[in-house]
Amino acid sequence: MGKADRISGIFWLIFSLFISFESYKLGLGALNKPGPGFLFFWTGVVIGILSVTIILRSIGKRSLDEAKESISGKLNVTKIVLVLLSLFLYALLMEWLGFLIVTLLLFIFLLGVIEKKRWWFAVSVSLLITALTYMVFEMGLQSQLPKGLLEFLRF
Amino acid sequence: MDVIQNVLFGFQVALQPINLIYCFLGVLIGTLVGVLPGLGPSAAIALLLPTTFKLTPVSGTIMLAGIYYGAMYGGSTTSILVNIPGEPASVVTCLDGYQMALKGRAGPALGISAFGSFIAGTFAVIALTFIGPFLANLALAFGPPEFFSLMIVGITVLTYLSSGSMIKALMMAGVGLILSGVGMDTISGKYRFTYQIQSLLDGIGVVPVAMGLFGISEVLLNLETEIKRDILTTRVRNLFPTLKDWADSIWSIIRGSVLGFFLGIIPGGGAVVASFASYAIEKKASKHPEEFGKGAIQGVAGPEAANNAAAGGAFIPLLTLGIPANPVMAILLGALMIHGLTPGPLLIRNAPDLFWGTIASMYIGNGMLIVLNLPLIPMWVKVLKVPYYLLYPLILLFCLIGAYSLENSVGDVIMMLIFGILGFLMKKFRYDGAPMILALVLGQKLETSLRRSLIMSHGDFSIFISRPISLGFLIVAVLLLVVPIITQRKKLSTLKED
Repeated sequence: MGKADRISGIFWLIFSLFISFESYKLGLGALNKPGPGFLFFWTGVVIGILSVTIILRSIGKRSLDEAKESISGKLNVTKIVLVLLSLFLYALLMEWLGFLIVTLLLFIFLLGVIEKKRWWFAVSVSLLITALTYMVFEMGLQSQLPKGLLEFLRF
Repeated sequence: MDVIQNVLFGFQVALQPINLIYCFLGVLIGTLVGVLPGLGPSAAIALLLPTTFKLTPVSGTIMLAGIYYGAMYGGSTTSILVNIPGEPASVVTCLDGYQMALKGRAGPALGISAFGSFIAGTFAVIALTFIGPFLANLALAFGPPEFFSLMIVGITVLTYLSSGSMIKALMMAGVGLILSGVGMDTISGKYRFTYQIQSLLDGIGVVPVAMGLFGISEVLLNLETEIKRDILTTRVRNLFPTLKDWADSIWSIIRGSVLGFFLGIIPGGGAVVASFASYAIEKKASKHPEEFGKGAIQGVAGPEAANNAAAGGAFIPLLTLGIPANPVMAILLGALMIHGLTPGPLLIRNAPDLFWGTIASMYIGNGMLIVLNLPLIPMWVKVLKVPYYLLYPLILLFCLIGAYSLENSVGDVIMMLIFGILGFLMKKFRYDGAPMILALVLGQKLETSLRRSLIMSHGDFSIFISRPISLGFLIVAVLLLVVPIITQRKKLSTLKED
């Protein structure tokens, strides 16, 4: 885990410096009257020290299995990125398009494009799941899911 | 007898038809969640929390609690039949449970784990009935310094027990603490770390973070490694353990119950640790330790009892001190606060129906589980056959709906997705998410109690060591931090000598 630790250690070090700096700006106060930045300044300092430890350790043990254990490896990066993208799009579009449309689209995408199922299977399963979740959450639990474009239907 | 009266009152609450229904729903969903790999109790409770908003706090808590201890039952089923632990507390059960199944003894393995769980769960609930009020009374004497030190112990224990590097776990606790600071500072009224982002003004909620860290990230991880499942096709017969099975395992169940219960109470401990500890003890106590790993019934009975007792014990610090013992309890704490209740020493007095009702519902729920678990095993096996390409879109959809319906805001959904990515990266880089959640939940209380203590003492830090209870807590915390360093040094020096 040599390389991975170095990368993550540096990330947290920068994070801790940022937090400590921002907390300092918020005001540390005095010991008998600690200010809003007091706890977080010191938390930032501690995280900073710990991340330096992680970095130093990772340099110390130049790991033998580094070749075996690369972070990205042969994993399905595209699959993960595509799924994440679709989820973010879902979040951004859900209030505009409404729950029914956006859920249907998400499922058709996940089943049809990502999992490469046959289109009739993807569409029918997506329709079924969208309808079922709508009944459970909107009608059963009254979750007030966004109606979006289908506002006019009023059902 | 006060206790008996209170328990009777609790049963009055829990036996109301509506609460019975939610108790049943809770344990049913819990078992389902326990059966399904890749969806643990933390994620499930976070996901289903919004569905309880329309309920009364009592019904809501009864259902969420049911999910937690129900998951402990369900987890064993997949461990035994498929060698895949449905949730982390059942990892140990795989060792001997699956071996028993391979030898055609799946029935007794499932049976003994269900009965063991029932005995342990009941033991934990009875102990909770007696210890809970006592601890709550004790905690009434706690001032800000004691609470501060207690929370420090809780976080340290969790980092001590966390899988992987303790330094990383401590860092994650620190990050959680910082996340808890986002939003308005309750003492000065200043906004911190919000950067004019609308959804940060109210602070970062536990629930979207938990859904991201335990739900979304889990799905992302599974996307790259296909889950392989070889389901045992032999029919499960003879669920009732024989007399010999009972004789072999009754002491394991008793030991597991007691051990699990006390490990469950300790803030930071919990079901996972309890199950591992119990397995180790059973192996030591056994006259035939060589049978462990080859299908020893004690290796199933002990840990299964322990994780259920721990699940019960974990309610004690939450309900009496307001301190969650583990991530699941942290989410439950968030749930109670959303329902307008503040868990702590005053909960028994302010909301006796919630306290005693929840406890009584756990007696009932444990009974339901044993009735539910044994006959429904064939159905759970079928659930396991649901292919992952259908399961993961559903988990994702529940996460999306759950996060949105928290406050009907897209901000929470985005927050959850961001923590999903963070959680995925954390797993890749081997950082544990549990300390982060716990610190996030405790953060605000921790900060207020620290600042109140310092105001009380006019800036003198010795207030934390001049008060005996607080001193005791801090000594434990320091020991936990120092012991690993010493033992590591020793290991290093022995390595060098070799």
